[in-house]
Amino acid sequence: MLMIRAIVRPEKVDVILEQLMSEGFPAVTKMNVSGRGKQRGIKIGDITYDELPKELLMLVVPDADKDLVIGLIMGAARTGDRGSYGDGKIFVSSVDEVYTVSSGIRETNAGTQEVSL
Amino acid sequence: MKEILAIIRMNKINQTKKALIEAGISSMHARDCLGRGKGLVDVQLLKGAEQGYEEAISQLGNTQRLISKRMIAIVVPDNLANKTVSVIIAANQTGKSGDGKIFVLPIHDAVRIRTGELGNDALDEA
Repeated sequence: MLMIRAIVRPEKVDVILEQLMSEGFPAVTKMNVSGRGKQRGIKIGDITYDELPKELLMLVVPDADKDLVIGLIMGAARTGDRGSYGDGKIFVSSVDEVYTVSSGIRETNAGTQEVSL
Repeated sequence: MKEILAIIRMNKINQTKKALIEAGISSMHARDCLGRGKGLVDVQLLKGAEQGYEEAISQLGNTQRLISKRMIAIVVPDNLANKTVSVIIAANQTGKSGDGKIFVLPIHDAVRIRTGELGNDALDEA
């Protein structure tokens, strides 16, 4: 399983969530974050803004769905035809195990099983 | 080392903290977040959707609400990962949808900034 963390523009979040929902990925966690990229923030006149508000979307998907999800997020998060600076970044990391608290079910790459405490 | 990322109900955070301390796992990082799961509360609907009934699936798709949750992150040595997970499950399980998810991620390295210790030495739990 893979964890996909996408840092996107706050105003694009609704579009992305809608896209993900319609393609069958309802489960998402959202957090407010602030950050800067390699452009070192934005300079307007004499003032540099280097802690720009962004939203962090986090979802865990099976390995096979990685490209689809990344494509969805990328398609929905871009501004303009070819995208522009500040549209965000997507990070992918591996997840060994996923537990659902309510049922105690454990999911791994090998399969799903119920675990007892 | 493993990172245990747990997303739990807001009102369970105090219980969870207490249970973790009692189990000897004291260091953690917590923050607020918003989230949604499969987007439903009705077990029968879920079952129907899993079996592929169009009607059930269309009803699931309507919700778009994000719910306030607490996210806790704990980095533990490999041998404590299972214990941490079971402590969190025991403290948070009500059996209803919305209890949360726990993710276990591999961590390559850890550094204690104060002393520069690396790896397992940098963790509080040996």
